[in-house]
Amino acid sequence: MSLKTAGWLSLAFILLITTVSFQGLIGFRNEGPDWALLQDDYFQQILQFSLKQALLSALLSVAFAWPVARALYYLPDLSGRRLFLGLCLLCFVMPTLIVITGLVALLGHSGFLSPLISLFTSKPWNLYGLSGILLAHVFLNMPFAVRVIYLQLQAIPDSSWKLATQLKLSPSQRLGIIEWPGIRGVMLMLSGFIFVLCFNSFAIVLALGGGPQSTTLEVAIYQALKYDFNIPEALTLAWTQLVIAGSLFLMVSRLGSPGWLSPDTASHSSTPTAQGKSRFVLQAIYGIAWLLMLLPILALLPGLLQGGLHGGLQNFNPADLLSPTMVTLALGLIAACGGMLLAYLLLQPVRAAAIRNQPRRRLLLEWLATHNLVAPAMVVSVGLFVFLLPNIDLDRWGILFVALLNTAMVVPFAIQKLKPRLLQFDQQYNALCRSLKLNGLARWRIEWPFLRPALASSFALVLVLAMGDVAIFSIFGNPQWNTLPWLIYGYAGSYRIAEASLASILLLILCGLILWGVEKLQGADDKPNKIRRKKTDTETPHA
Amino acid sequence: MKKYLITLLSFISLSANAANAADLTVYTYDSFVSEWGPGPQLEKAFEAQCQCDLEFIVAEDGVSILNRLRIEQDRTKADIILGIDDALIEIARREQLVQPHGMELSQITSDLQWQDHDFVPFDYGYFAFIYNSEKITTPVSSLKELVDSKATVIYQDPRTSTPGQGLMLWVKAVYGDQSTEAWQQLSSHTLTVTKGWWEAYSLFLQGDADYVLSYNTSPAYHVVAEKKSQYKAALFSEGHVAQIEVAAITRSSKQPERAREFLTFLVSAEAQAIIPTSNWMLPVVDDVVLPPVFDQLISPQRIGFSPIEIADQRAGWIREWRSAASR
Repeated sequence: MSLKTAGWLSLAFILLITTVSFQGLIGFRNEGPDWALLQDDYFQQILQFSLKQALLSALLSVAFAWPVARALYYLPDLSGRRLFLGLCLLCFVMPTLIVITGLVALLGHSGFLSPLISLFTSKPWNLYGLSGILLAHVFLNMPFAVRVIYLQLQAIPDSSWKLATQLKLSPSQRLGIIEWPGIRGVMLMLSGFIFVLCFNSFAIVLALGGGPQSTTLEVAIYQALKYDFNIPEALTLAWTQLVIAGSLFLMVSRLGSPGWLSPDTASHSSTPTAQGKSRFVLQAIYGIAWLLMLLPILALLPGLLQGGLHGGLQNFNPADLLSPTMVTLALGLIAACGGMLLAYLLLQPVRAAAIRNQPRRRLLLEWLATHNLVAPAMVVSVGLFVFLLPNIDLDRWGILFVALLNTAMVVPFAIQKLKPRLLQFDQQYNALCRSLKLNGLARWRIEWPFLRPALASSFALVLVLAMGDVAIFSIFGNPQWNTLPWLIYGYAGSYRIAEASLASILLLILCGLILWGVEKLQGADDKPNKIRRKKTDTETPHA
Repeated sequence: MKKYLITLLSFISLSANAANAADLTVYTYDSFVSEWGPGPQLEKAFEAQCQCDLEFIVAEDGVSILNRLRIEQDRTKADIILGIDDALIEIARREQLVQPHGMELSQITSDLQWQDHDFVPFDYGYFAFIYNSEKITTPVSSLKELVDSKATVIYQDPRTSTPGQGLMLWVKAVYGDQSTEAWQQLSSHTLTVTKGWWEAYSLFLQGDADYVLSYNTSPAYHVVAEKKSQYKAALFSEGHVAQIEVAAITRSSKQPERAREFLTFLVSAEAQAIIPTSNWMLPVVDDVVLPPVFDQLISPQRIGFSPIEIADQRAGWIREWRSAASR
């Protein structure tokens, strides 16, 4: 089987999963969407809320990320910057349940900081609702935005800065003429991408929403299916979500994809370094960013200690965590391997279209390959569940579908990461490969070293993402194959904060180790800054 | 690709002979079979009686049991569904998911006036708001007083949780056409609406709210299991909605005889003595010896709707609630 055929088959395969699941729902009683719902107060309410929270999450994430990225860029001698960038990555892929547990421990009804916040608010502080959702979304996405904006800043050519020095541009002129135009595009795209992610948010809204007044479409789909088994309503919600998120995602894809890990090799000898007051401000911002990103993680520790001291962990056997840990790792590995393979194959038709210079076809293929990012995960899982349940003993085999669906769910992320690298390879080497008539294995031998860093880092990313799944497990999983996130969900749901903290820390350590291991493998990420550090720069600051 | 094909194929071949090993399969909700719930004791007692293997398969809650049966229809593994409540029985009956039990049921307490041919009750209770009498000395004495008060309240989502659904019926029974206004009034001092009973009750026990929706039997748990007597149920002058938990034989059960044997066991003196102090509900037969605290529980007047009325109106009432409470 040639790579090309395998590529088309993979595309057929992931589209089949989605089609079968929609068919599972539509065909169950031959019911179509219930369009009357569009007039319903409740529908308009959740649509408004979904849009509002996604927009606010995206804007806040990008707005907070910008100053932090500037601090990283203009202060080359910051201590712990590599660790910081690693932490950023960890935050972005952090299983949502860790974030939820951390935020509840920090800001919940009996959280450590809650009394402090209540001093500043007129009403008693309540985490549940829009505030909790925004906090969690910003915590997850702001660090991601920091990385992307920072990388984009690094892409500003040295010659621009040289010119700026020669022309004696003032700080505000530099901002307006060099910095802002350099990052404007990426800011827009980043906002769109974070908007789509938050628009489809599930676990966070379910856990921190605190009732019907803060429901998103994805949660409403879950409720319509799980609580009322109201298929027409779920379909209406699903189509609405697919249309809104899908068209937005299409626009974002047209802007290009965020290359949040792309290694940068350009030199930065003329980049200005912040001095004086603005240096102090940027340093403060950097410090605050560290603090804010660490707080929800550190908040897990006291819960743990308290549990240990006051007997909250008395009936707790650490061996209970062993099997969920193994299951989580195994599921993650299966999904990550499958997802990477699928992503590589799915990119074959995309590459062919790029080589033949067919941008529309390429965009369409890309959209289809990554459609799982916008297709409501709930519809896909429940639809498949409905389709399979009468035919297969899901009490026994459900766990395999957890693996299968997680594979499908991580494909878009793997594609986002692999695509730029593969397209770059084609641009540089395709003509050569063809003229040398290199095919199959011989071509792969050249591709492999080129692709390896991107493969490793995207593998780690999708592995960690898959390890954090709760949505799919909530439909197909069973207690026999408990995963760590599901365990945390159970503990947190019954307010057993000590156990939830312990399991969260374990999961966090696992994820951290995986990402750290890969960064270690990659190694060369920070070289440009080392070059910069040798040079004493006398540029005036920028802030 | 190949990997998937192989897995898929192995599924199909394996699932064909994955016939279930147990002699009798019961779908129920998770807390029923948890280590402190009645499931394990009942299983042991029944297996000794019938010399057979009983298997519980767990769904999250009563609604999920019903939904699962709706999807599986005749291919279900369940011989019995256990743990849906009286508000759902007409819905299950209309979809023809169950078959008549053919039992006498003369032993069921006359308080329930049970006449149903498909469903067998196994415990019951009244929905009630629980408060901490150390914190609140003069509790509210009616639903209207609670709704008009500023006391913080936690209740459950009527779509997921049977107590939440009970409150929906309660509000409807008391307020009728004015329910929308009542829900809006209530939501102004609602702390949070949780997915299930356990989340709401844990939050209440941490001391965050004045009232939590639960059962009139909840104080008995605190007295018997924890020796704490400060938790009390508020008696409301309008009356309370009851929840009767029921079991039934599925339409497609291949073991109707054995299933009937289990239902008979469920209302026997032996099983009924296990349920009150493990599921914390009232027994459905008289003459069960209970801890003395059960005599001190409030015994309210019963109001509410018939299963038929609920089946006809539930969807509309849910829409009314979610529109009012989401504002």
